[in-house]
Amino acid sequence: MSGIYVYSDNLALSLALSTLGGQSGKEVCAITLEQTQASELAQYGADRVLVLNGNSSRPEDYAKALAQLLKEADAELFLVGSTARGRELAAKTAAYMDCGMVSDVSSLEFTEGKTITTRLMYGGSVVQTDIIASMAVVTVPAGKYEAVRSENKNCTITTLEVEADPRINIVSTSTIVKEGVDLSAADKVVCVGMGLDKEEDLKMAHDLAAVLGAAVACTRGIAEERHWLPVQTYIGISGANVKPSLYLSMGVSGQIQHVVGIRDSRVIVAVDINEKAPIFKAADYGIVGDMYEVIPLLVEVLKNI
Amino acid sequence: MAKIIACYKWVADETDLRVNQDLSVDVSKAKGKISEYDKNAIEAVVQFARDTGDTPVTLTFGSGKAKQSLKDALSRGPAQGFWVNSDTAEKIDGAATSKVLAAAIEKMGDYKLIVCAEGASDTFARQVGPGIAARLDIPCVTSAAGLEVQGNIITVTRKLDDCIEVVATELPAVVCVLPEFNRPPLPGLKAVLDAGKKPVQEFKLEDIGLTAAELTSKTEVADFKGYVMSRKNIIIAGDSMADKVRELAANLRKEGII
Repeated sequence: MSGIYVYSDNLALSLALSTLGGQSGKEVCAITLEQTQASELAQYGADRVLVLNGNSSRPEDYAKALAQLLKEADAELFLVGSTARGRELAAKTAAYMDCGMVSDVSSLEFTEGKTITTRLMYGGSVVQTDIIASMAVVTVPAGKYEAVRSENKNCTITTLEVEADPRINIVSTSTIVKEGVDLSAADKVVCVGMGLDKEEDLKMAHDLAAVLGAAVACTRGIAEERHWLPVQTYIGISGANVKPSLYLSMGVSGQIQHVVGIRDSRVIVAVDINEKAPIFKAADYGIVGDMYEVIPLLVEVLKNI
Repeated sequence: MAKIIACYKWVADETDLRVNQDLSVDVSKAKGKISEYDKNAIEAVVQFARDTGDTPVTLTFGSGKAKQSLKDALSRGPAQGFWVNSDTAEKIDGAATSKVLAAAIEKMGDYKLIVCAEGASDTFARQVGPGIAARLDIPCVTSAAGLEVQGNIITVTRKLDDCIEVVATELPAVVCVLPEFNRPPLPGLKAVLDAGKKPVQEFKLEDIGLTAAELTSKTEVADFKGYVMSRKNIIIAGDSMADKVRELAANLRKEGII
């Protein structure tokens, strides 16, 4: 059977992984826990769809069963969507199989029978390239690859009864009410950093955002230490990644963990009082100055345009 | 009194990394530190053990350089430090790391809870905690934002991409904590002084039944180089701040943004 196996609890990502797996020229088997997703998976490059049927709704609980399945199938690669559940499932599956794992890749290519990946390390300041020559688990974040429709008329859909890990019981589940805006889709972003003195001064950021038509975001410190803005609005390696046409920071020093989240912005503007702040190295345009002076002036100028 | 184990990694401080002209990365001059996120794991075992009367301990896998981490780790409250000392730590992957830590935990014995951070601040691969759980074949709960214990059962609040999931499981288990799980305090002077007197147990690989040959990386690192972002890096000059702001607006217009 061999081939490439793909799974994600996020359907869109799962479709993208099926397409990506297909680039290897090898057989792609898409795994799902939802019977209802099978027909759609069959339309994005999968040669086979395997529906796992077990006693748990949590994907994480199928790691051991998957490890056994992949071993028996002599799988060559297991691509997993990098969601919170996917990452746990991937890491446990890799350990049960005692195989290699590369997490959160920025790129993945199939060359001469090998899989070559790159990923960021040290908060984004280093790029590591790995060559995978034997069975390994690779997690792929959303947004890196697109799903391309390519119907395989011979795609087979099989249901398999498997045993889920029974040891973890769900007490309750509640949907997260997303506060703030969807930053990943924002076209302009105003980002507030620890240079802001008081919570009420956020008004300045909102004023600027209003004239620009921008979303307000922040650094991790503002959300997690000071709790001035919702956790969903902080940008960085453990937070949101943005790709707006304009990212404008006020009082952001520009630690690498933050900068990694703004790299895909088209134009980066930084306003900070410290001329040595690393944010200026990551910026297209910088103004060294007190944001309490700069931002109100900028709001006035923009209003009159 | 069972062991409540916090795993931590002694990492190079990313702010000390030098990227050379040819993009090669010099890690050798970087100071070491306990991975920031692992401080949450250490604080979590201290709090847990305070509630249950168990013994909070730390476990790390590192080369000789990691020795200096023990005092820092123990100043944060744990009663004893365990250290797997092997140079192989410098060049192995997450698979081998979880294998070593799981073997050490079995050797330490009498464990009730193992706490890891989601990931380390150098690699941020987020695979070692679940890897330990799988290798010990005990339950694993990742993305933990809160935890309660009642007897032998823990109830953990997980923060996932689109939902909050509360789960319960029986100990022993591995829990991977998010940075928001707690706020590790800075150790006081007395805690720092006391840390030097706390017991430390050092293991060599053979003490935990492993050999360096079993720990080779399963993927080959082909390249390791600095990331460069090419940006215009224009610092706007002007006689007054108002001039600078007007100049910025003019540039934004040129860029087609406003």
